[in-house]
Amino acid sequence: MTPKADRNFLHNLKNPKIDSLTAISELAKAVEEISLRRGIQEASNWLGRAEVILKLRKPTLAVYDHAFHFIGGAQKYGLTLISALQDQFDVTILANREIRPKDFLDWYGLDLSSCKVKVIKLPFYEERKIFHLDPAFISLEVENPFHLISRESGRYDVFVNNSMNEMVYPLSRHSVMICHFPERRPQSYFYADQYTSVVYNSLYTAAWIEKKWKLTPHRHLYPPVDMDAGNGDIPKKKIILSVARFEPEGFKRQREMIAAFLKLHREWPESVHGWRFILAGGSAPNNRYLSQLERMIAEYPGSPVELKTNCSAVELKSLYRESAIFWHLCGWKQEDPGETEHFGMTTVEAMQNGLVPIVYDGGGLREIVDHGVNGFRVRSPAELIDYSLKLFGDPKIVEKLGRSAREKSQEFTRDKFEARVKNLFTEILNSMTASD
Amino acid sequence: MEELAQEIRRLKEELDRKSEEIQDFKKWVGRDIDRDYSSPVEEFSEKELESHIREHLAAIKIHVESKPDLREIMSHRRTIGKPIAFMKRALLETTFTHLDAFLDRQTQFNRRIAALVPALLFRATHAIERTKWIEDKVGGFEENLVIMKNKIDHLISRLERLERKPKDSQNP
Repeated sequence: MTPKADRNFLHNLKNPKIDSLTAISELAKAVEEISLRRGIQEASNWLGRAEVILKLRKPTLAVYDHAFHFIGGAQKYGLTLISALQDQFDVTILANREIRPKDFLDWYGLDLSSCKVKVIKLPFYEERKIFHLDPAFISLEVENPFHLISRESGRYDVFVNNSMNEMVYPLSRHSVMICHFPERRPQSYFYADQYTSVVYNSLYTAAWIEKKWKLTPHRHLYPPVDMDAGNGDIPKKKIILSVARFEPEGFKRQREMIAAFLKLHREWPESVHGWRFILAGGSAPNNRYLSQLERMIAEYPGSPVELKTNCSAVELKSLYRESAIFWHLCGWKQEDPGETEHFGMTTVEAMQNGLVPIVYDGGGLREIVDHGVNGFRVRSPAELIDYSLKLFGDPKIVEKLGRSAREKSQEFTRDKFEARVKNLFTEILNSMTASD
Repeated sequence: MEELAQEIRRLKEELDRKSEEIQDFKKWVGRDIDRDYSSPVEEFSEKELESHIREHLAAIKIHVESKPDLREIMSHRRTIGKPIAFMKRALLETTFTHLDAFLDRQTQFNRRIAALVPALLFRATHAIERTKWIEDKVGGFEENLVIMKNKIDHLISRLERLERKPKDSQNP
């Protein structure tokens, strides 16, 4: 039976003129034929489609992420996608570690209480007591532990892989791989090209998918950002803000930014007078990089540099509300493309609150900040210093660029993201139920 | 419609039962899904190159010796195992007498390569460190230049204001 014949056959089942006994025997015959020719999985998918076309049940959707038990931007992306689709689909959240919908409410403010959660533990990682389920541990010498997820994927009409994990082979009729960045090159157990759609979070990521995976991704969905702290009219204080995790490897370049600010403070005291530099971000306990930064600041007593680690959402919003300039140098001197911002969510958060971004000219940040229009893109700490001095000396420019930044940031709101997600999945549903 | 729904459920359960019997994932999918991929080293980042070199260097060190170790020749067969292993060893020993000169040269070459690669790696690492050091210095100079340029611009604008003031005061 050809795919076209499949579809027409299923639609004919809806015809009230067809006698139910004939329909049942035809159906059983078709299932047997598909099962023999194309395998059990195909036959099962075909029956699933029949149920959806005949409106016997809601379409099912599973979203998998091997890191749902961590707080992270990629996880927020996947969960916001679920939030947009939970009325349209019967949703199952697939995780590898214990997690409750309540956690998602606490961490991201997303109410996913109508979704089921299914935890599939992977013996390979459990036996070795590895908390972070890094696919990099797996080579062809060991059996693919993620095949447990691959098998599970076949139980749903649509399967979404939100992990940076190409080792899950999709078995559902429709499958979507959300690629936040192609970390690995195609090697052992690489199946990204087996998905019916590959979604990318930025043009930067898309370019690297083409380069590393040699495949053209299908759909662009910028991440959802909703950090408008309100009170857009209150006057800004003389605060430069940086929001980024304090990565032990120093990828986010906080050290270089502090050095630049201290240099400004030393060499150009009149201009910097009254300005403070606040660096906020999450940090793991016993972070050596963070200790280095603390020592660096302590060497300059009285310097207006503050570190705020793991601050609450309320405190963060208040910082965004009060600050005027946003610094972000992540990507500077990073030769590995994965260590540059793939998108740059905190930059958008800052722009939603009218801060003028001065960010590194690379990665996804190029898609967010238009140089000279709603902020500045710089190639070095020297340029960071130069553009900051320009802003310090001209409050009108700060105000004008801040307004433009706020406007530009509206392209990346949660509402826009949800609308785009609904469009994509409506297309998928339509292709699933359409007749020829 | 209810009868049809029941039939679909029954067929699905039957398929589920059948599929549970298949343990091997490849059999489930019905084809070989794993492929070999080449390593385009010219496209690699420093980080990728580093792990690639580490992995291959370890392999080079393991395979330096060209001659097989005769102690590794064994047989698990209880009765005829020993004579078979003896025959294999004897065959290899006699062959070695003819191949010795060639294999020795090969081993010597392998050893040199195994020694040369880490030396080249050391040199490359040293050069990278030096480049980083120079880049940092240049970066520092650039920052100072920017600050100096801004100071000069500021002084020029102040001078211009001072120059304008006496002219302005001459105006009635």
